[in-house]
Amino acid sequence: MSSAIVKNPEDDSLFDALIAFAVDGIMVIDEAGLVRVYNRACERLFGYAAAEILGRNVKMLMPAPYHDEHDGYLSHYVATREKHIIGIGREVSGRRKDGSTFPMNLSVGEGVVRGEHIFLGIITDISERQARDRKIQELQSEMLHVGRLTDMGQVAAGLAHELNQPLTAILNYTNAGLDIAGENGDPDVKSVFGKIGEQATRAGNIIRRLRAFIEKRGPNRAAEDIARTVDEAIRLGQINPAERGIKLRVSVEHDLPNVLIDRIQIQQVLINLMKNAAEAMEGAARRELTIAIGRAEPNLVQVSVTDSGPGISDEMAEKLFQPFVTTKATGMGMGLNICRGIVEAHGGRLWLESNPAGGAIFRFNVPVAPEPEE
Amino acid sequence: MSAGRTVCIVDDDADVRDSLEMLLRRSHYRTLCFESARVFLDAGITAEDTCVLADIRMPEMDGLTLQREINRTIPGLPVIIMTGHGDVPMAVQAMKEGAIEFLEKPFEKAILVGALETAFARTATEPPTDAAGSRQSPRKSLTERERQVFDLLVEGHQNKMIAHKLGISVRTVEVHRGRIMDKLGARSLADLVRLSLAGKPR
Repeated sequence: MSSAIVKNPEDDSLFDALIAFAVDGIMVIDEAGLVRVYNRACERLFGYAAAEILGRNVKMLMPAPYHDEHDGYLSHYVATREKHIIGIGREVSGRRKDGSTFPMNLSVGEGVVRGEHIFLGIITDISERQARDRKIQELQSEMLHVGRLTDMGQVAAGLAHELNQPLTAILNYTNAGLDIAGENGDPDVKSVFGKIGEQATRAGNIIRRLRAFIEKRGPNRAAEDIARTVDEAIRLGQINPAERGIKLRVSVEHDLPNVLIDRIQIQQVLINLMKNAAEAMEGAARRELTIAIGRAEPNLVQVSVTDSGPGISDEMAEKLFQPFVTTKATGMGMGLNICRGIVEAHGGRLWLESNPAGGAIFRFNVPVAPEPEE
Repeated sequence: MSAGRTVCIVDDDADVRDSLEMLLRRSHYRTLCFESARVFLDAGITAEDTCVLADIRMPEMDGLTLQREINRTIPGLPVIIMTGHGDVPMAVQAMKEGAIEFLEKPFEKAILVGALETAFARTATEPPTDAAGSRQSPRKSLTERERQVFDLLVEGHQNKMIAHKLGISVRTVEVHRGRIMDKLGARSLADLVRLSLAGKPR
């Protein structure tokens, strides 16, 4: 039905009402860019009254550079009919009467009315949505930043621990060597063993200082709602279960106490575990990711991340938490090592269980926050 | 001949085990090596003329759990705990549960041998829960502030953490720590933990 929508005078007034009361801004311009329709929502959005706008060039509602270029766009379109924005929506900026700008979504349609070409614009203010997106972005970048610091600290702590073992062996062998050289042994041999020992001790002290340096950053823990923490991690980590065809289920026991955690660090652990789980399920027929939160012991809250992937072989399970061990082509193999470091620094534990229904279960505990003092 | 003084080395790192074995044999101890706490517990070792030198951080069963298992199944068998850096709170807990000493890796031979001698002296003469219980609480000789620092130290807190908790500078904590060690004649944190345990009934 290509004829007019308007059928009788009563419908005419209904149509006017539709335009007037629409929540979104509705505007019509002609080929010259002059405004022909400008509804109440537009008045609210731009701060101009209809009387100030009707019959004038729409570019006054645009900030630079569009303000100067819009006439050119229009004549280019009229000449070539090459569509850039028409028929699609786009995020652009609007300019208010007071000169300030705001982000808006603009969709443009075109048509012919009484032989005249017109363009219909529908405008939605998206500043709130943008502010929300920005907030999420800020949180994400904060997480990334803290994450990097934590990673560095955990890598250093992990290395300190790993290096300590060979150093211990070196020092022990050296001392045994000194014994073997004996009281009356070659003084040069004894001197060499002595020097090896000194250097091993020196390396040990470097590690000790490194450790002290890492610990200096200190923990940043507070009483947090674990369910909220998990919920945020799902959003911040861009797990996007729907896009990956994953059925995500979060079950939370009732009346859980607050936990004493560094929220961002624990969210890092969660995101890491969830991403691993999601990756493990790529290509699997059944893709179910379950996060369960419950009370473990009187003073611990347990979080489990269960996937329905292929599971983890016994051989891999043994060394899964070691640094630089990975099953991924591009992984550094630090993720789970860091996660375990974070959880242990909280006084908890992180471990792997195999899922009887197929797949892997990672569980970790974090301590319940002490009751606030009366 | 001191025929039977056997040190059971429990560490998941083969090279650490081997090096300890070599060092201790040169010092005339017999040695037995175990790659895990479970293997050790399954070996049916008895307490006589034996002590255990165990790493605190091992997969499956850690040193602290091993200490508890030994308390339950081989009471009287002395345990020395080896720690990496950062495991001090766990090591302190192990001492509270009866470990003789903890050694921070890497350690000098003299320190290791000193700890072993203490351990064997205990198997030879003293009942495992020793006479310390009759001693006065060591905290009596300390000032109020020193007592606070002492209590946090023996819980395994780092100086930095203690400074934070008490709202004083790290430097001040170090000074207090030095005075506490002097007053109590302690040479190491392990000594302090031992002293703190001595003041309490087990």
